[in-house]
Amino acid sequence: MSKRILRDIPLNRVEGDLEIRIELEKNRIVDAWSSGTMFRGFENLLINRGALDGLVITPRVCGICSTTHLMAAAGALDRIAGVVLPDNAIRLRNVALMAEHCQSDVRQSVLMFLPDFTAALYAAHPLHAEAVKRYAPLAGERCVDVVRQTKTFLEIIAILGGQWPHSSFMVPGGVSYAPSVIELNQCRHLLARYRNWYEQSVLGCALERWQAVRSAADLDAWLEEASAQRDGDVGFFLRFARAAGLRDRGQGYGHFLSYGSLDLPADTAVVAGGGQLVAAGFVADFGAVQSFDQSRVSEHVAASWYSDYEGGKHPFEGVTDPRATGADGKKYSWCKAPRYAGLPAETGPLAERIVGGDPLFLDLVRQEGANLVCRQLARMTRPATLLAAMETWLVEMAARPDSPYYQPLSPLVEGRGFGLIEAARGALGHWVEIREGRISRYQIITPTAWNGSPRDGAGLRGPWEQALIGTPIADIDNPVEAGHVVRSFDPCLVCAVHVVGAEGTPLRG
Amino acid sequence: MASLFWLQCGACGGDTMSLLNAESPDLLELVDTLDIELLWHPSLSTLSSQAQGELIESLIEGEQALDVLVVEGSIIRGPAGTGMFDARGGRPKKDLVAALAARAGSVVAAGTCAAFGGIGADSWTQASGLQFLKKAPGGLLGKDFRARSGLPVINLAGCPCHPEVMAGTLSALIAGQTLELDEFNRPLDWYGMTVHQGCTRNEYHEYRVEESDFAQRGCLFFHKGCHGPLADGPCNKLLWNRRSTKTRAGVPCFGCTSPEFPAPFPFFDTRNIEGVPIELPKGISRAHYMVYKSMAAAAAPERLKRRETKI
Repeated sequence: MSKRILRDIPLNRVEGDLEIRIELEKNRIVDAWSSGTMFRGFENLLINRGALDGLVITPRVCGICSTTHLMAAAGALDRIAGVVLPDNAIRLRNVALMAEHCQSDVRQSVLMFLPDFTAALYAAHPLHAEAVKRYAPLAGERCVDVVRQTKTFLEIIAILGGQWPHSSFMVPGGVSYAPSVIELNQCRHLLARYRNWYEQSVLGCALERWQAVRSAADLDAWLEEASAQRDGDVGFFLRFARAAGLRDRGQGYGHFLSYGSLDLPADTAVVAGGGQLVAAGFVADFGAVQSFDQSRVSEHVAASWYSDYEGGKHPFEGVTDPRATGADGKKYSWCKAPRYAGLPAETGPLAERIVGGDPLFLDLVRQEGANLVCRQLARMTRPATLLAAMETWLVEMAARPDSPYYQPLSPLVEGRGFGLIEAARGALGHWVEIREGRISRYQIITPTAWNGSPRDGAGLRGPWEQALIGTPIADIDNPVEAGHVVRSFDPCLVCAVHVVGAEGTPLRG
Repeated sequence: MASLFWLQCGACGGDTMSLLNAESPDLLELVDTLDIELLWHPSLSTLSSQAQGELIESLIEGEQALDVLVVEGSIIRGPAGTGMFDARGGRPKKDLVAALAARAGSVVAAGTCAAFGGIGADSWTQASGLQFLKKAPGGLLGKDFRARSGLPVINLAGCPCHPEVMAGTLSALIAGQTLELDEFNRPLDWYGMTVHQGCTRNEYHEYRVEESDFAQRGCLFFHKGCHGPLADGPCNKLLWNRRSTKTRAGVPCFGCTSPEFPAPFPFFDTRNIEGVPIELPKGISRAHYMVYKSMAAAAAPERLKRRETKI
């Protein structure tokens, strides 16, 4: 029988609170349990509040993607009202959401993921000194640049919606403000600045050049093609990660989920299939894309600190009834375990690309599996899929100054609806029920609930629990390698790791 | 050099996100100019877990000096006073906050949750502020708590707090300057004004040109739930992200700097008696206000009634 040692090792640079218990054997992770350690009880705060109050309360679930929660909350209310949104309202909401995504993807990459490359673990890596120069916290050249560029870019959301974070400018029927042509032009200039910077510093090439990268072989050629491409954040990340052998790490199940996002206005030059810029769908075990049906979403609580029920419940049937039972039982997280068609599913930029049929990422996953390098590359390069459409929508709004941004509605009294979108981190859903003009039910499933879920009733691990299996850990006091895996999912949780070391592992300290 | 430890409790991270938007100084200039030694920030630090644990021990033992403790997010005391809804390493985080506060030169509550409990103050999480629970002095640390500097917890209310308020407060505290505080220990330099002051919709408010629906130009106070004339805060003086504010963009002020935020009433409706708001602008008598508003409405110029402004 092996002797187990419990350790508390925080991994930070994420949002929120998380502990992961890891079981090691011969310096490799053989099992993992992901435990959300903070309960804030948002869903229960909303019961019996005014029908529109989710627009104010739910952005405060998360300061890093508050616009995203607002969009899901407004979408649920739109559905209850049965309203057809004016085209300009769709455009404005989309542009604001895309601005939030494009800053989040870059901040997460440069301020949260890449600083791990400065760790002592990589002291002998040929690019270590360069990594320190670029990504040391608060001092690295790239960190400084990213802080300055992203905050300027966020001015777009302030112009359109008042402030970032935590505004409530999306309302059922549209948005609260009709920007002037002059203000839309300001947004366009801010966008142009960000795009130029993103091309020069993050991608190292024009968006169009990146979009021509359509296979793993193309990616290798792109990386050799020009020094600017090697030296951008994307090129540096790839060179460092490949030399460190990270393409073997963080392999997911191969189950991918996207709710779909960014509805196209009726009249637009932006082209996409299925009426949305980001496609909805589900992929099981690296298979064919299945159409997405929200009725197949359920939540399990077998390993979560809530009152037990059999199997899974759809969010319209779900309840949030906390029951802490201590760490020794089989329950170990405040996160519920969401499942699609009974399966744990990875969600986020990589899942969006797989579901959307992106040739580069389909090829990479085919050749390398859904590893942490693919996952992080999908995030770093997502702005390349959004920035051009943002510009088109800003130009289209400015060309239609007299078109409405809001469709007046009668007060919402009864009904239920859902708002399903893609957050920066993946699939986000709000399921809402209104009775007698008050909220009678509110259930939220966040992307991190999907990616960081605990086990379900069948004992299946959540996606990053699964992805941690096989990860080598050189220094148990500083498990940077586990951090890479978890951070590649862009967790919305401050993270601590409990390590269970099996006997025989050379633990330090 | 001033050492600073930033702790997140029942938080959404919004105050950190807000601080990243600080303009002049930006966060990096702030740290550089004030010579801040950032011992720990959950979103930015790369300390190994082992080193972080040792740091916390040395702070609690008093071996490492702690000049400023910043707490973001509410102090979660549930369930049943145990604090285990927010635990770190199997221990309630509220105990860590108390231990660090006892050693700190100054304690800053960043945001309404840390100051007053905010989101969750009335829920199962039993959220509290550091030194207040809503309007009542006390909170986690008790009404008599003073940091080493002799100051109570400095409450930087707002959901989120404005970045310039955080940067300005740290600048004053580290320089040893005096901050005049209001009854809720909010610095008057930023909370001695209302959100209404500086709102671009003021002229509509003057003449009671009030909106009943969204996406209009007029005032939101009478019908759409705006708390601007009651809420203490610098939003419309400083602006957000250098550009605008919620009220300018047609979103009512929800009074997020108030110790009682979020109030238990629907956010987008103004509670009223015979068409006049129950909650009136600070310090005015109801009788005077009703007379003034009926005269103001009668005097309203046509250009405002027709919403003929570009503001």
